[in-house]
Amino acid sequence: MKTLLDIKELTVSGEKTIVHPVSLQVRTREPCTILGETGCGKSLLAQAVMGVLPSELRAQGRIFLGERDLLGLIPKQRRAIWGRELAILPQEPWLALDPTMRVLPQVKEGYMVAGAVSGASAGRLAQATLSGLGLTDAAGKLPSELSGGMAQRVAFAAASVGGAGILLADEPTKGLDAQRWQDIVDLLLQKVADGIGLLTITHDIGVARRLGGHVAIMCEGRIVEQGPAARVLQNPVHPYSKRLLAADPASWEKLGGRASNGVSPVIKAHSLGITRGGKQLFKHQNFSIAPGEIVGVTGPSGCGKSTFGDLLLGLLQPDTGTVWRDGSHPPLRYQKLYQDPPAAFPRSITIGQAVEDLIRLHALQPGIRDTLMDELRLQPELLDRLPEQISGGELQRFALLRVLLLDPIFLFADEPTSRLDLITQQEMMNLLVRCARERQCAILLVSHHADLIGKVADRLLFLGEEAISRDAAFSACHQTSPREHPVYGA
Amino acid sequence: MNQATIGYRVFQAFLVAFLVGLGTFIMVRVLPGDLAYRIAAGRYGYDLVDSVAAEAVRLELGLDGSPILAFLSWFWDLIRFDLGYSLVTGELVRDAIFHELGHSVDLAATALILSLFIGPPLGLLAGFRPGSIIDRLVLASSVVFRSIPHFAIGLVLIMIFSIQAGLLPVAGHGHPLSRVLPALTLALGLAAVSSRIARDAMIKVRESDYYLFGRTKGLSESQVFFRHGLRNVSVPIITYLGMQFVYLIEGVVVVETLFAWPGIGHSLVHAIVARDIPMIQGTAFVMGLMFVFLNALVDFLNRLVDPRERVV
Repeated sequence: MKTLLDIKELTVSGEKTIVHPVSLQVRTREPCTILGETGCGKSLLAQAVMGVLPSELRAQGRIFLGERDLLGLIPKQRRAIWGRELAILPQEPWLALDPTMRVLPQVKEGYMVAGAVSGASAGRLAQATLSGLGLTDAAGKLPSELSGGMAQRVAFAAASVGGAGILLADEPTKGLDAQRWQDIVDLLLQKVADGIGLLTITHDIGVARRLGGHVAIMCEGRIVEQGPAARVLQNPVHPYSKRLLAADPASWEKLGGRASNGVSPVIKAHSLGITRGGKQLFKHQNFSIAPGEIVGVTGPSGCGKSTFGDLLLGLLQPDTGTVWRDGSHPPLRYQKLYQDPPAAFPRSITIGQAVEDLIRLHALQPGIRDTLMDELRLQPELLDRLPEQISGGELQRFALLRVLLLDPIFLFADEPTSRLDLITQQEMMNLLVRCARERQCAILLVSHHADLIGKVADRLLFLGEEAISRDAAFSACHQTSPREHPVYGA
Repeated sequence: MNQATIGYRVFQAFLVAFLVGLGTFIMVRVLPGDLAYRIAAGRYGYDLVDSVAAEAVRLELGLDGSPILAFLSWFWDLIRFDLGYSLVTGELVRDAIFHELGHSVDLAATALILSLFIGPPLGLLAGFRPGSIIDRLVLASSVVFRSIPHFAIGLVLIMIFSIQAGLLPVAGHGHPLSRVLPALTLALGLAAVSSRIARDAMIKVRESDYYLFGRTKGLSESQVFFRHGLRNVSVPIITYLGMQFVYLIEGVVVVETLFAWPGIGHSLVHAIVARDIPMIQGTAFVMGLMFVFLNALVDFLNRLVDPRERVV
């Protein structure tokens, strides 16, 4: 194995040090993965290696690319390396593609950078690259017409055609569904097999596990532990690594899977069908949910998971079929928990005020706020802050508190933890499950995360084309027969 | 442009025609002073008007009749593109406007092109170095030129270039250089805004992920600018042009009067003074249609530059 990139005692600092001395090596045929949560400094590390740190931050130490120390180069020399020797796969592919340029020229220009090819042959090469990634039809499309997975593959093509020997992948699987997730990780592995050095930044333990090679776990600007993936991920030594790995949904204890208790349902849906944006999302969909039950909804992105929940709540009207909600409960007791906590709170009023307004509006007992805050482990001083001044996990717990104040009988939780870190995600899911069991609240949980939903839900509902086969597979391994079978094309 | 967009614009043109017609009609009726006297004064001169002449005008034009009927009959003529005769000169309004419109379009187009050579380049320059001296100078001059009204800018330009330096004609239409000062007056005000739009757009584009990705792909700074910068910056600039036409049309009225430019704005002011109702209505109507047409043009340009489909 040859060392391609040798990072020695690299620090990143602004007014204070954000990344403490980090040493790492990227070798041929050994993927190197930095695993850590939001804000741990792992993206800054990638930016420091690339040389694209925000202007107020400085990198110190040494980064050897072959014989050259990158930090000793002047900006012009570093820039000459971009695309040709060192390439970065950006974090948000949708944003990284020029919204007003079609796909082909965006890939093609990477070939022209290398300088050796003319415009026409670059075009042919780019078309061939796209075809190789299963993107033959995407060449003439605009980024806004691509799905998340396609955009990620286009960005992958655009980043790697310059012939760079080292690829930095910054959160390559962010927001992708299971199938696309696998596609992109396979592509990265393919690059490694081709002899390209790969440095991946991720918060997803699954990515680290599948890539294998060398893994470094980063926490608060320090690498707390690094070594061969098999060792670090199986037998972590550092307490933080242990906690992080235990928070991986794949390692959770099973929370759901309870058999139905025979209580009469709060919501029944019969033969639901809806078309959105000209696409038939589902039809003939039957469903029911009983108090205290957790039903997980899953399926590929765009299959109508959120739409399904909104139909049950009556926020949308189905094209066909009916939804029945138990009328003995007021409509207020059917509630929804949103995906993006900051978007679900008014930005300029304090959280305390937002909660207070709700209590006043519905003339609730003021005391229950404090009881709930205790239960959700929220500190009273957080009430004086604005939504942006507290963490995403705290804000999502406040969102749950806001919903629980109304004593819900049915809660539609739409990807409630997809913006949260692993450890926070686990806490949030535990709270949700407790709330279902103790309050006899029915929960419809939407998540694209198969492991998570498998651990939390009592029953699963698959939407999408593979619905029937997957549904059967799930019931086979859980020995419970799902009462609802989505029927397609019948 | 697809059929739905064209249909939408045609519908808009109808609506504009109706509302502009209604608006001018009501405004002319509620203007102070006796309509018949003002029209008679326009025809025969203020010294020669007496109540007999005014009465003759009143009878001739049926000014005593129901205003609703008068409006409806005007609107009926309008949709057949019959704009009537000037009450003052007796000339066909259509011919008068057609003649003047050419001069106005000449002036407005010169101003617009001039402003595009001043505003966006300065804005891009400022956007490349936000906070720099250039940026601050561009900001300061854009505030100055946007906040000073047209007639004041025009007067200052006349004083500098015509009276002091003697380089350009003060006013009028005869000389090929006559259009420079009025066009520059309008262009400065337009450039003041488009430079800000260009600056902000440039900053946003330069901070965007795709701009950075262009760089890290290995493109040089100028390649990134021409491949990923310019087109994305143009989109808001072109879009904003549509809104600037209000400013342009409003400016044309003032600037033409100031520089005695024989355009549609100039004649609108005269028509209002003389209460020449068909002229006022005809001019306002054509200006409204111009506005719709120019916005359609902006749509079209934007579609050329930006391939994304947009919903109207």
